[in-house]
Amino acid sequence: MAHAAELGRRELRRPLWSVRPAVLLLLPAGLFLVVFFLVPYLNMVRMSFLTKAQGAAFTNVMTLENYLRVLGDAFYWRVIGRTFWLAGLATVFTVLLGYPLAYAIARASGPRRPILLMLLLAPLLVGAVVRSYGWMILLGRVGLINQMLRALGWREAELMYNTLGVLIGLVHVYLPFMVLAVAGALEQIQADVELAARSLGASPWRTFWRVTWPLSLPGVFSGGILVFVLALSAYVIPILLGGNNVLVMPMLVVQMLLDAFNWPLGSAMAMVLFGLACAVLWAYVKVMNRALRWIPR
Amino acid sequence: MNANLRQLGFLGVVVALYVFLLAPIAIVVIAAFNAGEYLRFPPEGLSLRWFGRFLGSEPFVRAFWFSLKLASMVTVLSTLLGGAAAFYVVRHAGRSRDLLQLFFVAPLQLPAILTGIALLIFFYSLGLGTRGMAGLLIGHTVVSIPYVFLMVGAVLLRFDRTLEEAARSLGASAWTSFRRVTLPLIRGGVISGALFAFITSFDQFPVSLLLVSVGNTTLPIQLFDYLRFSFDPTAAAASTVSVAMSVAVVWLIDRLVGLEQVTWGGPR
Amino acid sequence: MASIQLEGVTKRFGRVVAVQGLTLHVREGELLTLLGPSGCGKTTTLRLVAGFVTPEEGRICFGTRDVTHLPPEHRNVGIVFQNYALFPHMTVAQNVAFGLEVRGIATSQVRSRVSEILERVQLRGLEDRYPHQLSGGQQQRVALARALVINPQVLLLDEPLANLDAKLREEMRFYIRDLQREFGITTIYVTHDQAEAMVLADRIALLRDGVLQQVAPPEEIYRRPQSRWVADFVGLCNFLPGRVLGREDGLLVVDTPAGVVRCSGAVEANRVLVCVRPESLRPHLGGRNRIVGVVRERTFLGNLLDLRVACPAGLMLRVQLSPSEDARPGEPLQLEFRPEDAWAVAEDS
Repeated sequence: MAHAAELGRRELRRPLWSVRPAVLLLLPAGLFLVVFFLVPYLNMVRMSFLTKAQGAAFTNVMTLENYLRVLGDAFYWRVIGRTFWLAGLATVFTVLLGYPLAYAIARASGPRRPILLMLLLAPLLVGAVVRSYGWMILLGRVGLINQMLRALGWREAELMYNTLGVLIGLVHVYLPFMVLAVAGALEQIQADVELAARSLGASPWRTFWRVTWPLSLPGVFSGGILVFVLALSAYVIPILLGGNNVLVMPMLVVQMLLDAFNWPLGSAMAMVLFGLACAVLWAYVKVMNRALRWIPR
Repeated sequence: MNANLRQLGFLGVVVALYVFLLAPIAIVVIAAFNAGEYLRFPPEGLSLRWFGRFLGSEPFVRAFWFSLKLASMVTVLSTLLGGAAAFYVVRHAGRSRDLLQLFFVAPLQLPAILTGIALLIFFYSLGLGTRGMAGLLIGHTVVSIPYVFLMVGAVLLRFDRTLEEAARSLGASAWTSFRRVTLPLIRGGVISGALFAFITSFDQFPVSLLLVSVGNTTLPIQLFDYLRFSFDPTAAAASTVSVAMSVAVVWLIDRLVGLEQVTWGGPR
Repeated sequence: MASIQLEGVTKRFGRVVAVQGLTLHVREGELLTLLGPSGCGKTTTLRLVAGFVTPEEGRICFGTRDVTHLPPEHRNVGIVFQNYALFPHMTVAQNVAFGLEVRGIATSQVRSRVSEILERVQLRGLEDRYPHQLSGGQQQRVALARALVINPQVLLLDEPLANLDAKLREEMRFYIRDLQREFGITTIYVTHDQAEAMVLADRIALLRDGVLQQVAPPEEIYRRPQSRWVADFVGLCNFLPGRVLGREDGLLVVDTPAGVVRCSGAVEANRVLVCVRPESLRPHLGGRNRIVGVVRERTFLGNLLDLRVACPAGLMLRVQLSPSEDARPGEPLQLEFRPEDAWAVAEDS
């Protein structure tokens, strides 16, 4: 019955070579994105091969020098390394902190779930700037946490303008994404599967380790990719919470573009950063696919 | 006994994590109402003076209205574009569906800062520069379209086509059937997409960072600039206004459509 | 192998009482089916025995061992779930081996026992497949193998055939019954399908709204239902209301709107319902229980003739005759039934 309906619906469509009026629905957005998304990216790639000139942002002379400068300078490699390191750490911590939250949400029943979800997503309604500001108030030298420490008679802790502060900020801002991804995967697990494990003799902890955790890995992996890319390209958080002490690649790129006005080099830097990110992700996906062999294609 | 202890421990962890998530925002709001310059515990008393400072600060107020205006325009534009595209991809795409889906979601997959950079360079390459609102409008729309596309797409996929067929069999034209049957039923998805677009634009940072020009600053950028150099709670007041704005939008949606209608389509 | 005893077990979920004062004794090695409409508490009963929920009142024992508060992993229960609950991220062999590994059994032994059980369920050669690569019937057998390999004291099956198509379901019924007899494990089998219960069960336990209605072998439940509800639930049944006039030759004499009839029954009440199954009504050949009526509807079912016959006092009887009988709508029909084929139950049951 459904098959017949589908066939009937297909008959209402015209053959592929005649222009269907429905395409008019597609064209505005399609053209918009091609012109203002695809082309600018291609242009940026082109820009990375051009040269900076005196008094102008760029000239139309093709060169590989930008790439050579970036790839050949230890300074840039250190910054890139720091950026990747921070992003990696942030990802790991969002998994550690996010998993319990995801579990609570996935297993919550009735009216509790929407509330938990809302509380999780509420911070997303607020921009990264505001959230970073909140941490500034908390972590600063005269911030709330240090006030508390001093009141308890302990030494002040340096929680801001360093890697720790940036890490806290990154984890805080990207945590909801990881939680959503993991919760999604946890919800897909058939409830009976855990019961089956228990009935076969596995303790609750054993059941989690051998059944729930492996089955939730797809969510952990996709959440990991998302958070890693987001953390890699973070700008606000490192600047506000790291000050001048934590230099990450996006900061350098923006500096190069807006302050030094050297667009070719800036573009090349951006391309290198994200080219490397793609390489890392590609390897990551390969590993992921091996581990998730059991998923039906 | 062991099971209960375990559950209690877990509950404690979850509560602590939620505190971690929400504390910074709560702190900012508290700071905005704090009488003193630095937030101390216990708070020094309530005061609205920082809000007064915010309202008296011309750059902040201008930035607020600008953000509001910009976000509204972005919402309309991205909802129309993204919604139409979603319609096409779900209903008419056939074999190119996967590719088109990838294309329209792409701006979400690539970091916003990269998109901002690409657009900045693009506009200057064309000799257009970033004067005026156009650049920002375009940039924000590019990163907002995917949200609308996903939300509308999700609700369209779930839509029961036989309802339209019933309407057509009863004599309604394609347009009437769309207007009176389809549209009311997919309203939730459209509105939630628009909601996401609005908030994405209002809170947008990376794209704005690169595309703002003198006289056309958004509230997040203004706030950021302020925070680079000062620390007083005027920023907190500005932040609270921003938070209130987002909450107001969500509340408005709830009044108009009911939040149960908002689908959790979301990026895959 | 152990018997299963539930004594006075009550389970509440909030204000809903899922199981009420259940006292049930499953004998060693028997296959008992829990039968009843949805929501009657049969799945809850199963979960109580499994240990996934704890009763508010009552005791559950395996043999002499009180397991009421024992967590599931210590009960040594084999369970086959309705949707099989196979671990999607493990191969068939790994799935089956799981219970053994958790018990710390040596790897070599694990391997041989897994091989053995897979041979038993005819799944040799599929050890390295993942669940999604198997058919429904094959997944079912993996679930069985996984539950049986741990040598459980008790086997629980929760509507395991519900997701299979009709033909496969019938095949698997016999298969499961034979397997259970071979292993001799005390088994509780939950189903809402009467035919299934009749085929599989040594005894059937009927549940209604959390309360046990009757526990007896299939034939007894069918022929000697203890209440109107039981008679109505299992198969088709006609009810002749009446007043008991007395006893005669071990039979009850009941005055019904269709006339005075004689039937079997052990009921003490005065007002009764005489239960007569459609297939027990035959064309009148001189027997004592004579009913006269007019045929209202006639349906040819191939192997049966299904009739609805209107009788005195507004009684509408459902009759199933051999197709060779002659009965047309509008025509009068005389029917009879044997007293031993009719059973009286209390009226308000």
